[in-house]
Amino acid sequence: MQTPLTIPVPVLRLPRGPDGLSRGFAPDGRRAPLKPEVPEIPESQESRESQEQRARAALRERYLRSLLAMVGRQVSFTLHEGVHVTAHFGATDLDVANFYVSQLQTPIGVQAEALLRCSDIISYTFKP
Amino acid sequence: MAMRQTPLTCSGHTRPVVDLAFSGITPYGYFLISACKDGKPMLRQGDTGDWIGTFLGHKGAVWGATLNKDATKAATAAADFTAKVWDAVSGDELMTLAHKHIVKSVDFTQDSNYLLTGGQDKLLRIYDLNKPEAEPKEISGHTSGIKKALWCSEDQQILSADDKTVRLWDHATMTEVKSLNFNMSVSSMEYIPEGEMLVITYGRSIAFHSAVSLDPIKSFEAPATINSASLHPEKEFLVAGGEDFKLYKYDYNSGEELESYKGHFGPIHCVRFSPDGELYASGSEDGTLRLWQTVVGKTYGLWKCVLPEDSGELAKPKISFPETAEEELEEIASENSDSIYSSTPEVKA
Repeated sequence: MQTPLTIPVPVLRLPRGPDGLSRGFAPDGRRAPLKPEVPEIPESQESRESQEQRARAALRERYLRSLLAMVGRQVSFTLHEGVHVTAHFGATDLDVANFYVSQLQTPIGVQAEALLRCSDIISYTFKP
Repeated sequence: MAMRQTPLTCSGHTRPVVDLAFSGITPYGYFLISACKDGKPMLRQGDTGDWIGTFLGHKGAVWGATLNKDATKAATAAADFTAKVWDAVSGDELMTLAHKHIVKSVDFTQDSNYLLTGGQDKLLRIYDLNKPEAEPKEISGHTSGIKKALWCSEDQQILSADDKTVRLWDHATMTEVKSLNFNMSVSSMEYIPEGEMLVITYGRSIAFHSAVSLDPIKSFEAPATINSASLHPEKEFLVAGGEDFKLYKYDYNSGEELESYKGHFGPIHCVRFSPDGELYASGSEDGTLRLWQTVVGKTYGLWKCVLPEDSGELAKPKISFPETAEEELEEIASENSDSIYSSTPEVKA
């Protein structure tokens, strides 16, 4: 069936998904808190918030770098119900909701390529 | 060079999305709540679909969800025999309202002072949210489980739908004013305050009735069984979705089918226009919500239209040979579309 050439409407990005672990409603999200909060002196609140923000940014950066360091390495995952698996780490998705792995060694065999749902992972460890 | 609709997929739910509702337009924009069989209703920013938070607490499938006008409160109806009221800013649970059976529908009054609930116990209940311990007022009369219960006529009246009837009740006297009977199962009902209209879907029909008299105004037939329909705020178009996984867009005045969109991997359970009419959201058995543009190609929310006249990037093809122009367009198109198409498989992970 001949259809005229159409281009899909470009988008800036995809909608952000859930955080994986947290239930959201970040207090520093788009909505300022509508509940009354005890107001502090503006200057000290400012610096406390920006300190916290810097700390969060630093932690986030460290975590993202740790993910980068994991690429191509053998990682051991501890999953629910005492299950342990190892695999070569490939990548994570934008929301760190899934890990793309290869050569996943499971109790029932080796899976060449797999997606591990992060909500199933309790912990993971690797040697850089 | 025509533009093709790019739906924005909101993932996060792990089971079918059965209901969704928009808030009104607030100083922070507008918001969207989705009810899901996974028991975890989610709040999203309405114009982008960005997840804001998940309301945690229900112990069963959530069948209905709604936001109050200024999106400060949310209410949910669930299979755990409770309706819950939530603080939509903090995500905290404010109230749990116990029922005797699965609750299917919840609706706030305009002033957010009262909550209407309806469900499988065939009773309509009105809770005074300022007196949560007080017993709700009950209205009986339905002979089968209530699927939807809505305030109408400035909260003076109540509309409720069960499997085969739609009934209109007077709030003050708590008595039935009028009713409509259907031969087929009513799949959905939406109330449009401006113009006091009702949209009812049953079988392949999308019917418009007066919310005051329940008299029919007009109806359309779709190619497949329809589960939900929504009328644009300016009443120029309506959108509907159902069992064939497609979304249909009709001209309200002429009844002409304008567009149909594929995209969902399962039946569509709910469709709603945003309060500004710029987009509509659909919830499906496939566990996703999708946002669709009303005017395809308009810059709004996450959709960014790049016109040949405006952008240096796309201006080039105009002066080069046709073959190169198409290649360049394909390249630019694929730059933008790669990330979108690669996201869909993740849903089934």
